[in-house]
Amino acid sequence: MSRELAIWLLTFAVGAITYSARLSFIAMFARRDMPPLLAEGLKHVPVAMLTVIVVPAVVFMPPGVLRIDPGNAKLIAALVAGGVAWWRQSTVLTIASGMAVLWSLQYVMG
Amino acid sequence: MRTHFSRPAFFEGARDIAPTLVGIVPFGIVCGIGAMAAGASPFAALAMSMIMFSGAAQIVAVQLLTAGAPFGVILLSCLVVSLRLVMYSAAMAPYLRPLDHRWRAVLSFFLTDQAFAATLQRFRTSDDVRGNASYFLGSGACLWAIWQIATAAGIVAGEVIAASWQLDFVVPLCFLAVLVPLLRDRISMLVFVVATVAVIALDAIPLRLALICGGLLAIIAGVLGDKLMTTHE
Repeated sequence: MSRELAIWLLTFAVGAITYSARLSFIAMFARRDMPPLLAEGLKHVPVAMLTVIVVPAVVFMPPGVLRIDPGNAKLIAALVAGGVAWWRQSTVLTIASGMAVLWSLQYVMG
Repeated sequence: MRTHFSRPAFFEGARDIAPTLVGIVPFGIVCGIGAMAAGASPFAALAMSMIMFSGAAQIVAVQLLTAGAPFGVILLSCLVVSLRLVMYSAAMAPYLRPLDHRWRAVLSFFLTDQAFAATLQRFRTSDDVRGNASYFLGSGACLWAIWQIATAAGIVAGEVIAASWQLDFVVPLCFLAVLVPLLRDRISMLVFVVATVAVIALDAIPLRLALICGGLLAIIAGVLGDKLMTTHE
């Protein structure tokens, strides 16, 4: 299967998933209350899922080698950007600081 | 459907949400860059934003596709990421109950973090169902349009800027900007630590299941942590 075809199939399949999630309690289970355990679990979805998206992109260097040391420029850049995000809750400042550190380290390290 | 529509409320909704949408522009750009980096054509990259209409699901889909994950794993991972939307759906449901099913079907599509935040206050304080629904539609449509424009900007950036600039690193930075401010209490820190350790430790498991397994373990840890905290009080 070509990459382009795979992307189109994914687009419609994931589109159906996101739409179903949005529709869930508004239409499908409109007459039902949410089970308490589901509500408790959902509360933690943002932190859990954001973490598992961010961490692998930072600690693994291609082709998938774990690098938790100062030689990993992306790790240093992410730590600085994380500090900026904590101090100033700004997406633009976080991205700008992270990219600035990454580019500087790349320049220095060659 | 037209009988329910209120044009002034529609534009009021669009106008009120517009200033808060500055925050989604970097995300839309990132989605465009990410899709192009995964080898999508510009049209397919834009279609992802038009149809999936969820930054987290779009990024997870392209990252796992690039990593060679099977289709089922990609879909399952996107499902877990989209559970957040189930939470908003449940919170909005009581306010949308008076509307007919066509209105509910259309408004559901436009349910996002920002539209939810912007309209919940109005739904709570006003009984004007017709105005509220149109207001929601206006804010959702405005967000959708800006999402497409931002994605298009990312598609152009992805085509023009060389790979040596490592522009794809903007993706984790964007998510980091949302994640870090959420880590304000002990349970959130616990969820973060468990997710970090699990996703690294499980990296070697087959089929790229680390993302979904790590995420689910962290969610379970959060639920258990909440239970322990309440029993200790």
